[in-house]
Amino acid sequence: MNKKILIRVLIAAAVIISAAVVMSLSKPPIEDLTARISPELIENARTSYSETTNNYLVFNIARGRNVRTAETDTYIGFMGNIFQINDGFANSMANILFWLPALLNGTWVTVSLTIVSVSAGLLYSIFIALGRISKFKPLSVICGAYIFFFRGTPLLMQLFFVYYGLPMINPALTINDKFLAAFIAFSLNVGAYASEIIRAAIQSIDKGQFEASHALGLKYGQAMRLIIIPQSIRRLIPPVANEFIMVLKDASLVSIIALSDLTHTTRSISSSSSSVLVFIPAMIIYLIITALFTFVFNKAEKKFSVYH
Amino acid sequence: MELIRTEKVCKKFNQLTVLNDIDLTVNEREVVCIIGPSGAGKSTFLRALNQLEIISSGKIFIDGELFLHRENNATVSRVNQTEYKRLLLEMGMVFQSFNLFPHKTALENIMLSPIHVKKIKKDEAEELSRRLLADVGLTDKADEYPSRLSGGQQQRVAIARALAMQPKFMLFDEPTSSLDPELVGEVLIVMKKLAESGMTMLVVTHEMGFAREVANRVVFMCDGVIAEEAPPNEIFSNPSNPRTKQFLNSVL
Repeated sequence: MNKKILIRVLIAAAVIISAAVVMSLSKPPIEDLTARISPELIENARTSYSETTNNYLVFNIARGRNVRTAETDTYIGFMGNIFQINDGFANSMANILFWLPALLNGTWVTVSLTIVSVSAGLLYSIFIALGRISKFKPLSVICGAYIFFFRGTPLLMQLFFVYYGLPMINPALTINDKFLAAFIAFSLNVGAYASEIIRAAIQSIDKGQFEASHALGLKYGQAMRLIIIPQSIRRLIPPVANEFIMVLKDASLVSIIALSDLTHTTRSISSSSSSVLVFIPAMIIYLIITALFTFVFNKAEKKFSVYH
Repeated sequence: MELIRTEKVCKKFNQLTVLNDIDLTVNEREVVCIIGPSGAGKSTFLRALNQLEIISSGKIFIDGELFLHRENNATVSRVNQTEYKRLLLEMGMVFQSFNLFPHKTALENIMLSPIHVKKIKKDEAEELSRRLLADVGLTDKADEYPSRLSGGQQQRVAIARALAMQPKFMLFDEPTSSLDPELVGEVLIVMKKLAESGMTMLVVTHEMGFAREVANRVVFMCDGVIAEEAPPNEIFSNPSNPRTKQFLNSVL
């Protein structure tokens, strides 16, 4: 039953990803598109094409001799086809369709940044949480300071510091890859938040579980690995899902270092097309991803609560 | 031969003295029951034996060896690490709240520490565990999670789990106190069978019937001291300490 749903989700994800890849990879040559336009249309065209981007070109074809007074028909060549665009709903839909590849590129940046940063952050956070609850004072204090710093300062500033601040301290610390810089800042930040989630989950496990482990001769590490952490996982899933969704949206902060995530792309399109229309598909994409995350984590929660 | 001996064991929490100069000896194949009002320090004493509580001062001898010697909240001497581990494993502990591992089935609960602590092969551990489950009368519950078992069944699994480490003696910390009255019997039957098989047992209990029937010796604890120590027929029929008399009158 669970497996069936998982397979369906995987198939859906595979279809979406491959569609996105095809759309962003297919760059039909301009000749291909122009060849499909009737010769008289080309002849009449005052402006043969006004805009080319990766995937489409726009023909603004004016009817009438005087350019200023002429009515303009806009044709758009896209993925090997020519569409005539008029104002109104059809125009909006067509626009959205043409923005979609760029938006999907941005989505890919947002989603991959979220997934790799949260995953890495979760990995650090296990050690930070164990350090925080350790009886060895210096370790506990160091981990506490880490958490205090990264929870107590804005993520935006941390990102700014990693990308612009580190090179000023020492040029050797320059990080040229914007994605890498964002990953470092985000994962460190997630590490601080998630370590508190993990600490709370571990400490919420009944003390009797530790006592029983001790009485049975398990070492501290074994008790953690075999008894305590497996029981905490189910309690971890809802706050970790929360963390994923928060980071998904916090990822929009990468605009500050001009990394083209979904929000950054949306803003560029919005300013270049002088229209706020692009925000609608962008928000829908955010909602779809959030829904996917929620779905996956709900399944995970069910899977881990078999023994309850 | 004596398995457990304590000398002047004290436990203080700040100003509060929970255990005050406890001297107790438990010999091999002996069943000793500790009774007394709540807050008397019975559980603390049991937990001090297997280091769930660290005593403030006194000596604990396990199996003839000086296990731990502390004075003024500081350790004077302790057996070396390997002996410490070995001696700890000689004590099996059964808790009031069972403390089964909820994410493991009954069988996995029992197999876990033989596999991970004693490093026994998995199939041997499983065979041992199934035999122990049969001993406590739960053959058909091997693959159930603890949440699907009744309190009495959980406690029987917990006893089997402690026995899987083949301890030399067993510590029972009020094993029936959190059970519904109709489930107490099944646990007591298992404990009685265990006593008859020759297991050395130190039992903190409120089940006077069990103490009277099974114990070789009953210890009455009150306000952190051992007020009276005698064979069951003596202590139940003719207690010498007025405090014991008062307690027994209120519970019997």
